[in-house]
Amino acid sequence: MRRAYQTLAGLVLGLAANAYGGTLVVHVDDGHGHPADSAVVTLESPGGDAAAATPAPATHTIDQRDETFIPYVEVMRPGEKVVFRNSDNTRHQVYSFSELKRFEYVLRPGTSSPPLTIDGSGIIAVGCNIHDEMITYLFVTSAPARVTGKDGNARFEGLASGSYQLRVWHPQLKPGDQGARLETVIAEGSSDTPLKAHLTLLPDPRASMDREHMGY
Amino acid sequence: MPHLGFRLRVALFFVATIIAVQALTAGLGYEVARRELVRQGGAQLEANSNAFVAQMDDIATRVASSVQILSQDYGLRSAIGEQDHGTVLSILRNHGRRVGATRMQLVGLDGKVQADTAHAGAAAVPFARATLLQGAFDGRKAAVVAENGAVFWQVVVPIYAPQPAGLVVASVPIDDKLLSHMQELSTLPRDVEMMTRPAGKPWSVVAHGGGEARLPPGFFAGNDHFPDAPVLAQSGGREYLVLARSFPQAAGDPEVAAVLGYSLDEALRPYRSVWLTWAGLLVLGLVLGVLSSLLIARSVSRPVEALAAAARRIEAGDYRAPEGMRRNDEIGQLATSFQAMTVAIGQREERIREQALHDAVTGLPNRVASQAAIERPRATSEATLVMLGITRLPDIIKTVGHALGDRLMHDAGRRLSDLAGSRFVGRVSDTQFVLWLPDAGRTRATELASRLLDALGRPFVEGDFSIDMGPAIGIACAPGDGEDAATLLRHAEVAQFAAAGSARGLAFYDAATDPHRPDRLSLMGDLREAIDQGQLTLHYQPKLDLSSGRVMAAEALIRWQHPRRGLVPPDAFIGVAEETGNIGRLTRWVVNDALARARSWTEAGHPINIAVNLSARDLEDPDLTRRIGDLTAIHGVPTSILTLEVTESAVIADPARALQELRRLADLGFKIAVDDFGVGQSSFAYLRQMPIHELKIDKTFIRNLASDEGDRVVVRSIVDLSHRLGLRVTAEGAEDAAALDYLREVGCDCAQGYQIAAAMPALAFAERFLVDGPTA
Repeated sequence: MRRAYQTLAGLVLGLAANAYGGTLVVHVDDGHGHPADSAVVTLESPGGDAAAATPAPATHTIDQRDETFIPYVEVMRPGEKVVFRNSDNTRHQVYSFSELKRFEYVLRPGTSSPPLTIDGSGIIAVGCNIHDEMITYLFVTSAPARVTGKDGNARFEGLASGSYQLRVWHPQLKPGDQGARLETVIAEGSSDTPLKAHLTLLPDPRASMDREHMGY
Repeated sequence: MPHLGFRLRVALFFVATIIAVQALTAGLGYEVARRELVRQGGAQLEANSNAFVAQMDDIATRVASSVQILSQDYGLRSAIGEQDHGTVLSILRNHGRRVGATRMQLVGLDGKVQADTAHAGAAAVPFARATLLQGAFDGRKAAVVAENGAVFWQVVVPIYAPQPAGLVVASVPIDDKLLSHMQELSTLPRDVEMMTRPAGKPWSVVAHGGGEARLPPGFFAGNDHFPDAPVLAQSGGREYLVLARSFPQAAGDPEVAAVLGYSLDEALRPYRSVWLTWAGLLVLGLVLGVLSSLLIARSVSRPVEALAAAARRIEAGDYRAPEGMRRNDEIGQLATSFQAMTVAIGQREERIREQALHDAVTGLPNRVASQAAIERPRATSEATLVMLGITRLPDIIKTVGHALGDRLMHDAGRRLSDLAGSRFVGRVSDTQFVLWLPDAGRTRATELASRLLDALGRPFVEGDFSIDMGPAIGIACAPGDGEDAATLLRHAEVAQFAAAGSARGLAFYDAATDPHRPDRLSLMGDLREAIDQGQLTLHYQPKLDLSSGRVMAAEALIRWQHPRRGLVPPDAFIGVAEETGNIGRLTRWVVNDALARARSWTEAGHPINIAVNLSARDLEDPDLTRRIGDLTAIHGVPTSILTLEVTESAVIADPARALQELRRLADLGFKIAVDDFGVGQSSFAYLRQMPIHELKIDKTFIRNLASDEGDRVVVRSIVDLSHRLGLRVTAEGAEDAAALDYLREVGCDCAQGYQIAAAMPALAFAERFLVDGPTA
């Protein structure tokens, strides 16, 4: 009954749906009730719908400022480029041993790396060999993906009604932890009631973190 | 060792008290110190154990930090990123050396060991302690693990490249070296042990700290739980405070604990020398105390023993004063008193002995001493005992009293001693002295006795009194008259008694005339038999009637024909019979026999009056009258046919009773005659009272009648007097015709004597005097 209604609504309001569509808010917390930012929520299926709206390949810039990669997590689509820019007045040695892409650039202050095309999907952890606390993640996926903000929310809009599977990943997941998987049904005019995802996170390894004072 | 004397006991008591107090104080001090040490030790141990745990923690932190730094080495990261196994292993080894780890492992995010410096070529196996890895990215992960009999800190450090790429596990051994090092750097107790308990096995020590003292192996074997607060424990004779601490461990690993010991013995060591010194001083004090006590005791006991020995000597009769003791203490005073006492006792005993052996009046040795002197061994076999009797002493005492008697005896003793010279003189009875001549024979004794008689013949003069002593000397000679003192004394006394009755006043003992010979006693037994067996007979001596010239009466005289001794004279047994109480029996026999004879003669037509002698003892028998009366009745003769003769002395002994008895006899009709008249202590007063019919003049007056005018006067007077008193007179001992003639002339009634006839058996008497009338 409900399904018939949804189908009908999709047919009647197809355009409107495309224009306005359903909205999905996913709220990610760190398991302690704190909103987790920098989490990546991926809309895994159905993913086909989004392909139509695929924008042209873009070049992503990862800035390095105050010995910090900005942003912490960058979502990219396969085939897009990434440039590492050193805005500090210190040298940075950007590297990654990830399986998807291995690279190493020594960036003097004010310089940028040449654009690096990322092929294939996956997560590339990028660090600085000079500054251990510097780390950034390139989340390469063809599926729609959003990064949670400070409020821990990721927002998808214009979603067609239907059943969706989501995955929630965070750079501070414990090694081996695949993150959270969610499933939801989007209906016309559905409320903004956030979908909640709970993650168990390691401490933030970035500048705020001082491993030598973590108790090691 | 001498017996514990008083002073020693006191000294020992004080020594013992001091030592007891000291020991108590020492024990108390020890206990207090020990408790304090235990308390402090416990606190210290707890602090130390906390420090130990903190240090161990520091070690883990240091290792972790070092590994952390190393983990950021780009070479390692790139080697891991490039999965360059050989490079990873060499870098791990290198880093391991830097941090002091004996084993470094690289564990992948999948929990599998990717590189292990201990097993270089090993295939990837899951890391044994998965739990250790779990929190490795959250914070520091370290655990104490036991492996292959060793204990390690295992520190897990994540590797970021830049995201978590793996974990490095560093194993730092906690071994003897480490513990020793820790002890050197801090004030950890010397006894630190790491122990582990593999599953199903007892605890075992895997590492221990340095120092000589060690908790003995197996100290905690069998204990399931270690004390987490200090407790006292003993092992191998040593005391420890022990405490155990555990460490963070991986799940499922064998238990590991650190046992910290605090050796009380070691803690007490500084005090031990104090206690040893203390104990040494105590022992020294004890030894000194005992030694000085012994010295004191010896100085006390020696003189006391000497005094005791002296006391034993005194007990044995040796009154020599004990050896002088020049001491100023109590013992010296005691010794002085003791000496004085000894001398006093000696003098007193001398006096007692003197009194016991001496006569108080004369100062001469007494009878006991005399006997001892006589018994003393002598050089010659011949010896003489001279006994001097002061025969008049009883009369003197009765007359002038004991005081003068004593002075007289003292004087006599002095005279005797003067003459005796060095010879022994003693006083053996109230009236008798002895002079013992152990080397003199009969001749010399006689000569000395004569001089004694001269000396003592002089009267004792005091004031107006001049008293004759009446000395009499009896002499007994050893060995003829006896050898022992008792015999000699008795024989000398017998001789002295004999001498008292003699004119010369001197007599030697003569066994033949001794009326007290012991063999007389045996006669008594024989006498009883003699009465029963008819050994006794009566002989008759005629009494001639001087006016008619006929024999009208006879005196019955007893004769004893002894089967062994032959004829025993009456004197030999009458006296003994009197003394032994047999006289009554003898008298009855005599009376009976005489009455029987009188009856037979009367029946034959000759009523001869028969006279029998009564003893003084007979008169003491209250049944005498009745018995004689009965016998007379039995024989059927008139009482007048029997004359009973008594001596004056028999009456005088107990006049009232004797007179009563005689009157009763006289009343029955018996004739009473006084025998031996004139020689005794004749008293006409008694004579007048006595119911007598006849006087018998003693033969001493008749024997010399023919020649002695004095006797004649006496006899004539007696006859006159008797006749005037109405008594018949019989003269005894008429031994010649002249005497008979004179008796007849003065009117004496009867005569008796050898001139007429001696006593003869009854048959002979009857044949001679009862056949054809009397002849004279």
